[in-house]
Amino acid sequence: MNRRITAAATAIVVAAGVAACGSSNSNTGGSGSTGSSSSSRPAATINGAGSTLAAPIYQQWSSTLKSQNLTQNYNPVGSGAGITDLQTATVDFAGSDPALKPSDIAKMKGPVLQFPVAFGAITVSYNLTGIKSGLKLDGPTLAEIFMGKITKWNDSAIKALNPGMNLPSSSITVIHRSDSSGTTDGFTKYLSDVSPTWKSSIGAGKVVKWPTGTGAAKNAGVAAAVKQTAGAIGYVEQAYAIENNFTYAAVKNSAGTYILPTIANTSAAANGITIPADLGISTINSPAAGAYPIVSQTFLDVYKDPCKDGGESKTTASGLKRFLTYAFGAGQSTLGAGSNQLPYAPLPSGLVTKDQSQLATMTCNGSSIS
Amino acid sequence: MAASATTVPGDRSLVERSPGRRLPDQVLRWGLTSLATLILIIIGYFFVRLIGQSGTAISHSGLSFVFGNDWDPAHNVFHGAALIVGTLITSAIAMIIGVPVAVATAVFIVESCPRRLRGPVSILVDLLAAVPSVVYGLWGVFVLAPKLLPAEKWFASTFSFIPWLGGGTPVLYNYFIAGLILAIMILPIVSAISREVIATVPQENKEAALALGATRWEMIRMAVLPYSRPGIVGGAMLGMGRALGETIAVVLLIGNAPTIGNHIFAQGYSLAAVIANEFNEAANTPLWASSLFYAGLVLFILTLLVNIVARYFISRGSRGTRGTGATGMTIASGPAGGQG
Repeated sequence: MNRRITAAATAIVVAAGVAACGSSNSNTGGSGSTGSSSSSRPAATINGAGSTLAAPIYQQWSSTLKSQNLTQNYNPVGSGAGITDLQTATVDFAGSDPALKPSDIAKMKGPVLQFPVAFGAITVSYNLTGIKSGLKLDGPTLAEIFMGKITKWNDSAIKALNPGMNLPSSSITVIHRSDSSGTTDGFTKYLSDVSPTWKSSIGAGKVVKWPTGTGAAKNAGVAAAVKQTAGAIGYVEQAYAIENNFTYAAVKNSAGTYILPTIANTSAAANGITIPADLGISTINSPAAGAYPIVSQTFLDVYKDPCKDGGESKTTASGLKRFLTYAFGAGQSTLGAGSNQLPYAPLPSGLVTKDQSQLATMTCNGSSIS
Repeated sequence: MAASATTVPGDRSLVERSPGRRLPDQVLRWGLTSLATLILIIIGYFFVRLIGQSGTAISHSGLSFVFGNDWDPAHNVFHGAALIVGTLITSAIAMIIGVPVAVATAVFIVESCPRRLRGPVSILVDLLAAVPSVVYGLWGVFVLAPKLLPAEKWFASTFSFIPWLGGGTPVLYNYFIAGLILAIMILPIVSAISREVIATVPQENKEAALALGATRWEMIRMAVLPYSRPGIVGGAMLGMGRALGETIAVVLLIGNAPTIGNHIFAQGYSLAAVIANEFNEAANTPLWASSLFYAGLVLFILTLLVNIVARYFISRGSRGTRGTGATGMTIASGPAGGQG
């Protein structure tokens, strides 16, 4: 409730700002459009809300774009709230980890486009004294652990995957996210994919009914609980695991190889998946040989005609297009494993091309956006 | 007639003033009335809106939301008995631990604290209220929960014969830890109000008790506490309101498992915690979002009910105590009888 009010209040304040900017710019544009095109591009403000997973990406891009006369604000309220904000046109774009569902699209004010932006792996972190790395797990075993059917670290199923490893006889403590999150959604989608029992008894969702374990709030809460509990296992986003030097397991992918959640192995998940016409891809359990199996994607959703359906001025629409051009161009090179890069996996070139050609179909009141 | 002498010449008395001259009083009266009504209207509007927003969930879950125990948003099952139980257990633990400590602190500050320390100690206790609840929660996550876990395990195995307290296996985050943090959070409110009320006990009452041969403890028990009881109860009710509705510290420490634990060191969930955890992603799923509003409505009603029940029992109890207080005073003349 509170959050919604804050979001709405922010939106109102920002919208007022946009209106002010828009009107002043349309005046200068109207008086001499040839003159303004030769000078620097008009200032614009665009607002987004949604996915917390993608928030560091949009915040980083925002600081780069500021120098190009484009203000981009992003409010990480969660994917679900981001979609409702786009449906009410209180934001110019929504960030969402899951692809849009038909029920989401039905409530939009007009046709929407969704663009894959980046990938993030979901790592399986653990706390085992003496075992800093090298733990291997496969999907069915993970499902049994998170269902509470495997309760000891030296269970024969884990031993069989890790021959020669000195596994302790301690109990396994499962730590999961308590807040509704795209991370839980991705992780449980994977478990449903690899375990029919999981699919029928628990299923996939942003919040599921965990048969065992403790719920901790956000990535930070899961991380703290895993660190403090000997014998704990939990799942955290890759960016978080990399930044905090967590120990994580290699997970067997559908090609039968054990894969560590590195940036390259995460990007590889986009190879070999089918790409539908609306780009609503799912990178869970990718068939590619070198791909890490538990990979979640994040989308950016906008109105195909932001002027007609989103009520935006021409200036804002062109600002939005500049932002998207950056996101599927120079922005992608800010993601990766490098020291000055954000620890997310960038899109493979095939998807970048698809994003760019979809971007070209955006219009403002029917005419193409400059 | 003395009153008329102070009024403006021409007016016989205050009540006989012309309506125009009574205007300031009327403005005051209407102003205060409208402000008080406004609060009632806001609460009423809040209640009506909550019912409206939870309509979808009420028709979907009905009363099984309150009595059923199965919270499974992935399958559209919203039965929140575990949430209600968790809210009540953590608040009860907070009251049992927090209120005696708060009242004892207040008695200490008023009755036996050296005069020079009284100000600083009061300020320090009040400062506890200024600490944001997320800080309490994080302190619980990083310090209290891991440090207390061995003690909880020892307690549970040593006193395994006590139902609800012992016998189970304590987990890192549980009802007790959440209740303990809530106890610290309600302490400043309860303590500050108790302190102000205890300070109003007439000196004569205290001196009379002492003159009858009461010890200091007997004086506090027989003269101070019975006199200030209604105020202390009011403070405790405010504290309980805070404990029932506290969100973020509970989210961090209760374990967030929608199950009903069978001992106080088991993990659970609370109404406020489930709203905080799930609202941001539930926004585009109408039934889910509505179920969270329903949780808010249940919390609203629960707080109201608990307050009414608590007030009822306390008013009944205090009538009884006033009686024993009187007999206590008579017994106090013979201290041996008072101790026996």
